[in-house]
Amino acid sequence: MAESSGSVNIAEVRAEWIGVEFDWAEFIIDKDAMIQWASACGETDERFIDPSHSDFQAHPSFTTHCMSGRLFPKNFPQIGGGFGIDGGKTVTAHLPIRAGSKLTAVTTIADIFDKTGRSGTMVFIVQRMEFKDETGALVSTVDWKMIKKA
Amino acid sequence: MKVLSYDDVELGDDLPDESPDVSMSKVTAFCTAAKHVFERFVDHEAARKEGFPAAIVPGIMSQSLLLAMIHRWAPGCTVRKIDTVFRGSLLVDSNVTMSGAVTDTDDEARTAEVDLVITAEDGRTGVIGTAVVEFKD
Repeated sequence: MAESSGSVNIAEVRAEWIGVEFDWAEFIIDKDAMIQWASACGETDERFIDPSHSDFQAHPSFTTHCMSGRLFPKNFPQIGGGFGIDGGKTVTAHLPIRAGSKLTAVTTIADIFDKTGRSGTMVFIVQRMEFKDETGALVSTVDWKMIKKA
Repeated sequence: MKVLSYDDVELGDDLPDESPDVSMSKVTAFCTAAKHVFERFVDHEAARKEGFPAAIVPGIMSQSLLLAMIHRWAPGCTVRKIDTVFRGSLLVDSNVTMSGAVTDTDDEARTAEVDLVITAEDGRTGVIGTAVVEFKD
């Protein structure tokens, strides 16, 4: 990884911002939205589409639509221009998410790194949301990679 | 071929290819459920004004399409982790193809790692990814 991308020193940004919590939100998991989500994706496993199933639960990536209130922490340095592009998501399903449950999400910056290729240097900023249920159990982690041109 | 238990899984196995329904009605239903109703996803003309060839399938929907494919391949499995990279646009109302292959297995954890691809109608790679699939027994 390069020490700096443009005018921003990536090593310094990493040291200051990785792991810092910057947003907190609550989400109520809606049964009808769970079913509609899974059905629209062609899901045929009844655990995800039949609310009478004994193990009825949200599709594993259901939490990807739960957005944090902020993209970046307050005073986070400007890296590159604009919003950047969506580089993809990683979802870790720790426990089933049930209809009606209230999830509490905490958002952090999980990683910052750069890569240089034919089109120049790109900076990857990974925003992490961790979702816990009412008991405090971690049920889902979503890492969202945002890619910005340095 | 469906796999009913971890013992059925072999390194190098291919998941059966699928052509998911990415019609406007399905994408609109997904976006409504996700509270993600943006014009670029649900309106071809609006998407063209944004520079796309047509309306595009949301990245988070493509991830769930892959999950549904895995659930059909291995009924009753639990996908513990899925990582997808959005490489290019998948167009609404087009024919896309999903494929997958087993690239690693863990006898102790009874999990399989699966590489995943969604290919656009014109042959471009739209989404690549990996998933960790856990078997019950």
